[in-house]
Amino acid sequence: MKVFRSHLLLCGGTGCHASGSLEVKKALLAELDKRGLADEIKVVETGCNGFCAMGPIMVVYPDGVMYTLIQAADIPELVEEHLVKGRVLERLLYKEPATGETIPTMQEIPFFALQELRVLRNRGIIDPEKIEEYIARDGYAGMAKALTEMSSEDIVKEILDSGLRGRGGAGFPTGLKWKFASQSPGDIKYVLCNADEGDPGAFMDRSVLEADPHAVLEGMAIAAKAIGAHHGYIYCRAEYPLAIHRLNIAITQAKEAGLLGKDILGTGFDFDLEIYQGAGAFVCGEETALMTSIEGKRGMPRPRPPFPAVAGLWQRPSVLNNVETLANIGQIILRGAAWHASVGSEKSKGTKVFALTGDVNNVGLVEVPMGTPLGKIVFDIGGGIPKGKKFKAAQLGGPSGGMIPTQHLNAPVDYEKVAELGAIMGSGGLIVMNEDSCAVDMARFFMDFCQDESCGKCTPCREGTKRMLEILTNITQGQGKEGDIPLLEEMAGIIKDSALCGLGQTAPNPVLSTLRYFRHEYEDHIKNHHCAAAVCSALFKSPCQHTCPIEMDIPAYIALVRADRFEDAYRVLLKTNPFPSVCGRVCDHKCQSKCRRGKMDEPVAIKFLKRFITDNAPRPKITAVPVDRKQKIAVVGAGPAGLTAARDLALRGYKVNVFEELPEAGGMLRWAIPAYRLPRNILAREIDDVRALGVDIQCNTRVGKDLPWRKVAAEHDVIYLAPGAHASQKMDIPGEDLGGVWGGVEFLRDFNANEEAWLSGKKTLGAKVAVVGGGNSAIDAARVAARLGAEVTILYRRERKDMPAAEEEILAAVHEGIKIEYLVAPLKIQGKDGKVSAIACQRMMLGEFDRSGRKRPIPVEGSEFTLSVDAIVAAIGQVPDTSFVPEDSGVSVNRWACLDLVPDSKSQTTNPKFHAGGDAVTGPDTVIAAIAAGHQAARDIDASIRQSAGEPAWEAPEEEKIDIPLVIDEETLESPQTAMPEMAPSERRQGFAEVELGFTREAAIAEACRCLRCDIEI
Amino acid sequence: MAKLKISDLKKIKEKVHAETALREGDRRVRVTVHMGTCGIASGAREVLDALMREIEESGVSDVVITTSGCMGLCSREPLVTVEIIGREPIKYEYVNPNKMRQIFKRHVLEGEVQTPFVLARGAEIVK
Amino acid sequence: MKAELDDLSKVFTPEQIAQLDAIIAKHKGKPGGLIPVLEEAQVTLEYLPPSVQARIARGLNLPFSRVYGVVTFYSFFTMTPRGRHTVRVCLGTACYVRGGKAIAETLEKTFGIKEGETTPDRRFTYETVRCLGACGLGPVVVVDDDVHGRVKPAKVKDILGPYV
Repeated sequence: MKVFRSHLLLCGGTGCHASGSLEVKKALLAELDKRGLADEIKVVETGCNGFCAMGPIMVVYPDGVMYTLIQAADIPELVEEHLVKGRVLERLLYKEPATGETIPTMQEIPFFALQELRVLRNRGIIDPEKIEEYIARDGYAGMAKALTEMSSEDIVKEILDSGLRGRGGAGFPTGLKWKFASQSPGDIKYVLCNADEGDPGAFMDRSVLEADPHAVLEGMAIAAKAIGAHHGYIYCRAEYPLAIHRLNIAITQAKEAGLLGKDILGTGFDFDLEIYQGAGAFVCGEETALMTSIEGKRGMPRPRPPFPAVAGLWQRPSVLNNVETLANIGQIILRGAAWHASVGSEKSKGTKVFALTGDVNNVGLVEVPMGTPLGKIVFDIGGGIPKGKKFKAAQLGGPSGGMIPTQHLNAPVDYEKVAELGAIMGSGGLIVMNEDSCAVDMARFFMDFCQDESCGKCTPCREGTKRMLEILTNITQGQGKEGDIPLLEEMAGIIKDSALCGLGQTAPNPVLSTLRYFRHEYEDHIKNHHCAAAVCSALFKSPCQHTCPIEMDIPAYIALVRADRFEDAYRVLLKTNPFPSVCGRVCDHKCQSKCRRGKMDEPVAIKFLKRFITDNAPRPKITAVPVDRKQKIAVVGAGPAGLTAARDLALRGYKVNVFEELPEAGGMLRWAIPAYRLPRNILAREIDDVRALGVDIQCNTRVGKDLPWRKVAAEHDVIYLAPGAHASQKMDIPGEDLGGVWGGVEFLRDFNANEEAWLSGKKTLGAKVAVVGGGNSAIDAARVAARLGAEVTILYRRERKDMPAAEEEILAAVHEGIKIEYLVAPLKIQGKDGKVSAIACQRMMLGEFDRSGRKRPIPVEGSEFTLSVDAIVAAIGQVPDTSFVPEDSGVSVNRWACLDLVPDSKSQTTNPKFHAGGDAVTGPDTVIAAIAAGHQAARDIDASIRQSAGEPAWEAPEEEKIDIPLVIDEETLESPQTAMPEMAPSERRQGFAEVELGFTREAAIAEACRCLRCDIEI
Repeated sequence: MAKLKISDLKKIKEKVHAETALREGDRRVRVTVHMGTCGIASGAREVLDALMREIEESGVSDVVITTSGCMGLCSREPLVTVEIIGREPIKYEYVNPNKMRQIFKRHVLEGEVQTPFVLARGAEIVK
Repeated sequence: MKAELDDLSKVFTPEQIAQLDAIIAKHKGKPGGLIPVLEEAQVTLEYLPPSVQARIARGLNLPFSRVYGVVTFYSFFTMTPRGRHTVRVCLGTACYVRGGKAIAETLEKTFGIKEGETTPDRRFTYETVRCLGACGLGPVVVVDDDVHGRVKPAKVKDILGPYV
């Protein structure tokens, strides 16, 4: 192996890349080479060290000297001084701020501050292998008190009064258990500790045993005194070698110190205990099975009664408690029942330790008072969900438990509430799942676990779990059948009622719980073979394609980019998407959120590659399709939904007339999205292609005004209504009708219609503009206003992370100098001479979670303030204008002004002659959703026409075959997504030129090589 | 250890308190490596080794190493606490042998907190 | 008796058999001694073929069926020889949610073996486990006693490299 005298660790995190670490690295390598040091000194690029503000950062080892804010120009001096002369270059040295005040205290970190440490009170503080340190923190003082000052009845009463309930899951009152055992006759009794923590995702007990083993021993000795036992076992799973090791040390030390064994502390009380190592069977967590296992047999449960308190281990009265329960005991005896009951909820006292894991930022052990809201644990203590993903559910109670979804984030976590929500408290595994988890797959996962761990003694569990697993597996593999869901429910009921032990009785819980909250996912799998989380891989080729609303063949066009076959790639795009150059710019790219590459580092830049193809390959020529069908179709609205339907129907041989109210086609693409995001000529090119097929688009024609509804209906066989949602929602505050108050889309439409007047100053917003809202329209309006020279402030009532606008848009707005005020809501608009002069606002703070899983903003009293402005743009949402639909048309319009569809159809309105789609049906949604709606409508319209004429279904003409190259890299190195080159922010505000400049050929091919080709089965 | 009587518990408590407060002898710094399964799995053992080697090489005798269990925040492991007598303890996160060497050289020996690696200062409060 | 010893001697050395007998003797007569005997025997002999089980049954005065029943019940016990190294992929919930499945698939692809199997060169025995309690580091792979956390599929090869 080569030995280097020095390692230079250069941070290669995104932050440092952004501040120029790549240039620094290049300069560094060149300099080392120049000085012949390349063989002695190694440059290593590291991951982000979280100190991005001081980047680029380099640490020189072995000296451990850290340099910050390095520029490429500094390199020659740095190498000369430090690496050649061995002197630290003071100029770039990181200097500690004088006071150190910048470091937060533990109490300033919510993860620690919001916890209530009782069971975990010694964590990280004592050395678990030194009994003195435990004693120093009042260890064994509770036991001393119990042995010297208390009778058996006193102890039982104290524990009963404390309200302590079994932490292993079922929540049976510990005092009651002890009472029964203490009242059972017999000289020989046993105290058992259940440390067979088998729930996947739970590690509370392991952690307690490793960090504070004596607390468990102390609890057991007190229990022994309470019930009159002199012998105990700790049943610990073999998978926890460190816990067993530390327990052994603890037991040895306690015995040597006379804290276990004969005549403890000179009180005359004897208690001895040993560790029993489990051999890997989940069922042994069940109390009777655990006892059978200690007896040296197969760990199968036995029917109760008799209960263990009467006839337990070797038929002797026994008490079995879980590790966490026992770790509570010493402190309760020492500090009293009232102290324990001082925290918690009405029926669940004290604290609970959770193992917080899964898709959450802070993974670890969390001890909180019983009744702490779930959302507080996940978001405040856990720090929320990584990578900006959405919370889906928290899984409590492992394979015996259930999921608690978004709408119950405010639920207090205690035994009663958790059970009411269909989960169980369990031993404390709390697994956070984000939107990338599939409910059906999780149910299958847990059923697989239970089936595997079923001991086989009783039929309902042995056979029932097997059969349920089969059904679930079928559903996840696309072989689900109508009737599977009721069958699952029926079987779940039977197993729950008839299984012998807890494992069997609770095995159906995950299925019942997911059916309760995520039934639609089961239905989606069964009926549509669709897995919204893109997990059930038997249902699709690749997750990106499966997630795309129009199922674009993403792996194919990316492979073609890699192969330098851009023209073929373009043809692949056009197979499913009539607007690829539009989508390459403004699509919300859901595909990227499920990209497998994203699990490794960052998703492939699918959207940018799509744009690259349309920018760089010649657009395939379109030829008109002859009209060979007699039926005529009208489309109302020339937005993406209407035009897609028109195109598809034209391809099927229909004559299509499109009627558009505005002067040009394109809908929101033309009239709301500004040209700096979507240049007009790019859009026009795609619309021209629709025309070229033979579709007739009549602009300036509002149906119901310029053209009577009845006439359109009479002259066409089917009408597709896709008018979009072009009216802004009102803020509903006083002063909204003053001059200078705009709706978001109205402002954008006016600007796009009268660009010249706005740019020449004939029309103006004024110097200061407030934009209200946090969606893409709000950002669009703000960025347009900024380009018109205004000083713009966005007012948003929630936090940044709750903004529905695309992250890159928000960033761009900030870069362009737009100010965003978070947690602010407008109260009133003030005016002078009929024109707006100011907006009165109020600050908000965050309250409980709402149904969307975001914290609800609530007003802060007395925080009112006024912002003087010349114009206000309210972009808080859009509604369709469906006033052109006559009441007697038979087409039903609902109270949100949206068009109703009949059940079981994805496009048909209440009048079979009329179909509808796009924003006018769904409310404001994305471009790609509108395109999907257009495809859907065309399929439905064509199918219904052919069906009523008794014709066979349409068959698409054979497509030309494009062969897709298959190149898979042997090894994949981590590398971030290729960044999109952008115009400098200072230049952007000068005009409406496109901000994003597009990939170069090299960048595109490099980015395409990042695709893992997870669509290929080898 | 001899068999204890009730009164011994209190004596032990007082004695250890004196020790853990670092007032005894010539101990100047206490470094705690948090070693639960999670900590070890993410490399706490290597961190401990590096620390011991550093202490040996530097020849200092006033630094004491202890180990303890998991501190709770597994996702930031390995965690190390450096406590210089009379000052607030400093908790370092994502420690590796290289960072440990740097922390030892610059914080333990020179008293200069290595802020970029710090999780927090102070300790958890048990109510 | 003779046949049993013959079977044993084919696979184990006289020292190993003596060790086994010592383990049996240590626990003989203790209630519930069977599982500790099996655990220790497996640590010493690496696996528990029927010949070993028969000797334990005889030593503890238990029916063979009882020993066999216990060995097959608990996942800790194995009746087949193992590889030099054991690779265990955690498929507990936390690891599963964080991508443990992909790790398992990568391993299966790399070695062409399924869960519970040993590579033909007896380098690795590959198992999946339900939660090792190191959920903070998921997905987790354990090779022998070394826990590797935050594993990504592309890193699997690097991790296994040093175990020859």
